Amino acid sequence: MPAPSPPRELSRLAALLRYEILDTPDESAFDDFTQLASHICDTPIALISLVDDHRQWFKSRLGLDVSETPRGISFCTHTIEGDGLFEVHDAQRDQRFRHNPLVTGEPHIRFYAGAPLTTPDGYNLGTLCVIDRQPRRLSEGQRDALMRLSRQIMRLFEERLQGHRYAEQAALHQALLNSAASAMVLTTADGRISGVNPTAERLFGYSERMLIDRSLTTALFPLDALVRRAAILSDELGETVEPGFAVLIAPLLEGRREMREWRLLHRNGDSVPVLLNVSAIHDEHEQLHGYIVSAYDLAHQENLQLRLQQIAAQVPGLLFQFCWRPDGSSSFPYLSEGLEDIYGLSAAEMAPGIAPIYSRVHLDDRARVLTSIRHAAATLTPWHFEHRIDHPRKGVIWIEARATPMRQADGSVLWHGLVTDITERKAEQTELDKQQEMNRRLLEALSEAVVACDAEGNLTLFNNTARLWHGLDAAQLSPEQWPQYYRLFQADGVTPMPYDQVPLLRALRGERIRNQEMTIVVHGTARHVLANADPMFASDGHQNGAVVVLHDITERKQIEVLQRDFVSTVSHELRTPLTSITASLGLICGEIVGEVPEHLQELLDIAHQNSKRLSALIDDLLDIDKLYAGKMRFEMQRQPLQPLLEQALRSNQGYAESYTVSIELGSCPAVSIEVDTMRLEQVLSNLLSNAAKYSPPGETIELWAETVDDAKVRVSVRDKGPGIADTFRERIFSKFAQADSSDTRQQGGTGLGLAISKELIEHMHGQIGFDSIPGAGACFWFELPCYPPQEAQP
Amino acid sequence: MTELKRILHVEDDPSIQAVTKVALEAIGGYQVRSCSSGLQALEEVEEFDPHFILLDVMMPGMGGAETLTRLSERIDLTQVPVAFMTAKVQPGEIEHLRKLGARDVIIKPFDPMRLASQIRAIWDSGRA
Repeated sequence: MPAPSPPRELSRLAALLRYEILDTPDESAFDDFTQLASHICDTPIALISLVDDHRQWFKSRLGLDVSETPRGISFCTHTIEGDGLFEVHDAQRDQRFRHNPLVTGEPHIRFYAGAPLTTPDGYNLGTLCVIDRQPRRLSEGQRDALMRLSRQIMRLFEERLQGHRYAEQAALHQALLNSAASAMVLTTADGRISGVNPTAERLFGYSERMLIDRSLTTALFPLDALVRRAAILSDELGETVEPGFAVLIAPLLEGRREMREWRLLHRNGDSVPVLLNVSAIHDEHEQLHGYIVSAYDLAHQENLQLRLQQIAAQVPGLLFQFCWRPDGSSSFPYLSEGLEDIYGLSAAEMAPGIAPIYSRVHLDDRARVLTSIRHAAATLTPWHFEHRIDHPRKGVIWIEARATPMRQADGSVLWHGLVTDITERKAEQTELDKQQEMNRRLLEALSEAVVACDAEGNLTLFNNTARLWHGLDAAQLSPEQWPQYYRLFQADGVTPMPYDQVPLLRALRGERIRNQEMTIVVHGTARHVLANADPMFASDGHQNGAVVVLHDITERKQIEVLQRDFVSTVSHELRTPLTSITASLGLICGEIVGEVPEHLQELLDIAHQNSKRLSALIDDLLDIDKLYAGKMRFEMQRQPLQPLLEQALRSNQGYAESYTVSIELGSCPAVSIEVDTMRLEQVLSNLLSNAAKYSPPGETIELWAETVDDAKVRVSVRDKGPGIADTFRERIFSKFAQADSSDTRQQGGTGLGLAISKELIEHMHGQIGFDSIPGAGACFWFELPCYPPQEAQP
Repeated sequence: MTELKRILHVEDDPSIQAVTKVALEAIGGYQVRSCSSGLQALEEVEEFDPHFILLDVMMPGMGGAETLTRLSERIDLTQVPVAFMTAKVQPGEIEHLRKLGARDVIIKPFDPMRLASQIRAIWDSGRA
């Protein structure tokens, strides 16, 4: 049959667990009971059985091998559900048990009698039971004995539990003693030491073993101190107190608990400052058992005090603790030694609160000092104030005071603070202010515009000139908005400046900008400026902003334009007379108007050659002028490369022959290029005529083309002349450059050819360059984008 | 077929006028009439009856282009080729001058030794 689970069952199980007996080893004390029960009832089997939620477990068993059986078939379950002895005379004839496996099989139970094990609060934990393999009945005496035995077992359970609790308690006490920060000494009622904790061993230098049974006062107390205390106590209590243990317990006997400073003796003779407290220990019958003497180590605290003094001495200034009470009175519980240094006051002068200090505050600052202190006290916020002090020795000094107020339980306000002399820092600050003022005036006086921003790109400075030029001051804008707001344009004065090209922003991003030309257009007037911008760094190396300096070059630009116009005008004006001079000389030298006398021939040739050179120079000047001014137009046409090279060869062959040099056209890929035919011819003529001029007589100039990658073709012109000197490499493509000045005449060039060629090639989206080993000739080349021939346009 | 003999040259600069005249007469064997302005050319063109007209572009008062237009009102320019003489020009300008009715453009400074043959070539290109 299933075991019933009454509502009380959970509480019963809790009670069973409380006794901590389930699954514990055999104990002879319990075996005595089963032995006794078997003997009294004359049964082969006796058990102490405990019933938990699913089984009965045997704390002691006699005549049975198993240690537990399932609760469902147990006889004892029936016993614990009742409240007295439960007896089955013949299980085979009993409806409830005849099919029980314990009856039909091992151990073949016929007879069962169980007495419940009942706790003082009424829970049946299990049974003491006797079992036989034959039917029978217990006598009245046997039943009574079984009930008494079960009560005894229960008492044993109780004692066992109590024993556990005592052991735990004792371990706890020991742990407390061991871990206590104070030294603890236990004594007997007559003052002999019965135990000490590890702190006491450490504090006094003895092991516990060395102190046990010795008199506390003899072992640890100096006799003279005991004698003095005994005299005082005798006087106070009106009876004689002996200078021994009595000194410690006499106040206790009078009902006084004392905390008293003593200097006890270390084993090595040192004096140990302690705060001593003595308590009596009574047992449960109020019987005096002994005393516990605790000694708190004051040396530790004395050290702290000393340390504070040392720290205070290191701190420049005055450390203080200041108490302001609700009644308006005040005091300084702590003041470090900086008092004289800061306020010119001695500790003796400080007695009556804050008044002496207040009197030292500079007259002009007093009202503000008081207001700020009151405010900090009212709001309990940290107080920080800089003000002047009239120091009797140093004169007027500046101090900085900081303090944190704390409200105390009694309503007073306790301040902890620090006062430092900042006279020197103030002087430096004043000097710094002066310098800053000077810098500011300098900036304002500059004819250059200066604009600065911080690391976040906020504009922080616009000097006078910057404000004037922009007609605006620094505004809170994101850098993206700068070009439009401040009317920034590129050098041409019409193309709006992309914000990421603004020099200040570029500098903010870490670049150093040199001479970037740009335009500020305000009210339709363009101001051309050169911008120089740099990142700015803090002393720790972090970038903290950027600055740009703008230099007005409007006037210079105007002069440049005038110069260009002048060159252009003069060139045009020169050309007409030069045309007639050159033509006239040409006709004379060509002997069209008659034979030229021999003695005039050479001079006329010189005049003719130089007039032609002048014409070429003027043409070049006008070309370069147009190129730099961006006024030259290009008619770009896509066309095959080969015919262009062939044409160049034909056009320059004659010129080359005049230097007894020939031109050879080498390989040329079948590609098209997109160029202005006339301008490309001009470049090729320039390169070929240069090569002719510098070639030794009889040599050949090589002209060829090759694709560099799929998208570009390189056209090269190689001569076998002297090559390009290292010193000349850098400026070979600049205006009026020739290898040396004497060359110009000798080679009959204008010095503008390569500069013009470079501009022309770049305008046609190409690049120009050269390779040269001095003494071994030069190879000039240009590269242009190229296209497959079938894409050639008609 | 008409023979190229008479060339009308319109040029404000007397030096160039003179040099051109020498070059064309001495080398080409042509008969040259020099006019110092467009107006003068208009006055004399019918009387001179040129086979070829050489026109300067940049002239004070009436420029080369206007002179050409006004000349076309007086004579049949399909029969008389006109060439401009001008300093180096930008591409596109030549095209513009051709559209006005010019047969070709001769770039200043010109080579006096080759001028006559250049004009001859232009003349021949129209006949071919």
